[in-house]
Amino acid sequence: MHPEWTDLLSSYLDGELDPVTARRLERHLDECASCREVRDDLAAIVAAAPRYLGDPPGEGVWRAIAATIDADKVVTFPVARPARRWPIGLVAAGVLLAGAAGGGLVWWTTREAPVVAIDTPPVDAALVGLTGTSPKVDAAIAELEAALAANRHKLDTATVRVLEESLATIDRAVAEARVAIQRDSANRYLNNQIAINLRKKAAVLQRATRALAAET
Amino acid sequence: MPVPIETTHPIEPRDSDYADVRLAVAGDPAAFERLYRRHVARVHGLARWLLGTDDCDDAVQDLFVRVWQKLSTFNGQSAFSTWLHRVAVNLYLRRRQERGRDASRFGGADDLASAVPARAERPELRVALERAVGLLPAGAREVFVLHDMEGYKHDEIAELLGVDPGTSRSQLHRARMMLRKSLA
Repeated sequence: MHPEWTDLLSSYLDGELDPVTARRLERHLDECASCREVRDDLAAIVAAAPRYLGDPPGEGVWRAIAATIDADKVVTFPVARPARRWPIGLVAAGVLLAGAAGGGLVWWTTREAPVVAIDTPPVDAALVGLTGTSPKVDAAIAELEAALAANRHKLDTATVRVLEESLATIDRAVAEARVAIQRDSANRYLNNQIAINLRKKAAVLQRATRALAAET
Repeated sequence: MPVPIETTHPIEPRDSDYADVRLAVAGDPAAFERLYRRHVARVHGLARWLLGTDDCDDAVQDLFVRVWQKLSTFNGQSAFSTWLHRVAVNLYLRRRQERGRDASRFGGADDLASAVPARAERPELRVALERAVGLLPAGAREVFVLHDMEGYKHDEIAELLGVDPGTSRSQLHRARMMLRKSLA
């Protein structure tokens, strides 16, 4: 075996050797049985390697994955208006529903839909800095709900259903916290949970109405 | 009447993968399970080669949870399997680095003698090769798995591993020669 030649065999088998060197190597292989044997062995290894298709793991792996993703429902917001379509990266502004203890937290992921002039109230300012329930938040949510209700026909039924489920989850969490706070009005955790969930609700509504407005 | 989403990089229904990706992005776990079952064997095998048997199940679980979370970024320009493998390779290699198991990566000739048994059983080449690949030192195994088993090119491997393409070529040849020795 001649290392100066066998060192070229992998490149040769992969078709990466320049033609002149390849011809010189082939001439050597014609004359050298030991190097030819190396070439044949390496060729057999290369040919056998792609057969490795792997084996599936045990079912426990899928169960663990399923349990994880079950808590995260990614939902897109396809709009029923054909005027302008969104790139998928923009459309796929998904809502993640996390089944947090004490209530669902809802937030949007990925990039925002393009924002254009909309006929919904500028609630951003109203939401900044809020630490608890307030008439300002309630008013903002009411306006956003009205705006969404007026445009919900632009969303397909599946999207509407999931959006309603998301909002219902938040409403339930808020309602439960409000019942609990009747017994413990000074409970800062409950107050905070109400505030957080209301802000999340407003954020979801705002994003939905913005996305709809972008199609207008 | 709802209008289907049109994207800048349309995902054409060339096969069931694309359809299931769209359904999964829309929140359909059953579609995601179909994708999982269709592709898990290969990425599980890849995890076994790159990470070893102890960590491969956890790595596959981590992979598919991440894939679920970032599925909307799949733009359909490549096959889903290609995209998945890219994600898998990146994740596995990062996992390796985090584990600090790559201390022997691209080690010298010493580990050749210690890693490869003088003679391996060869009832059938595939089985023997499978065993032998598992005995390769980390650097040679990574390159062999990525190039010969997964079809990556040296430039791509170099980028993935942060090495020179020439290093990838020499590691591949080294791996093949070590396998030849172990299968002799």
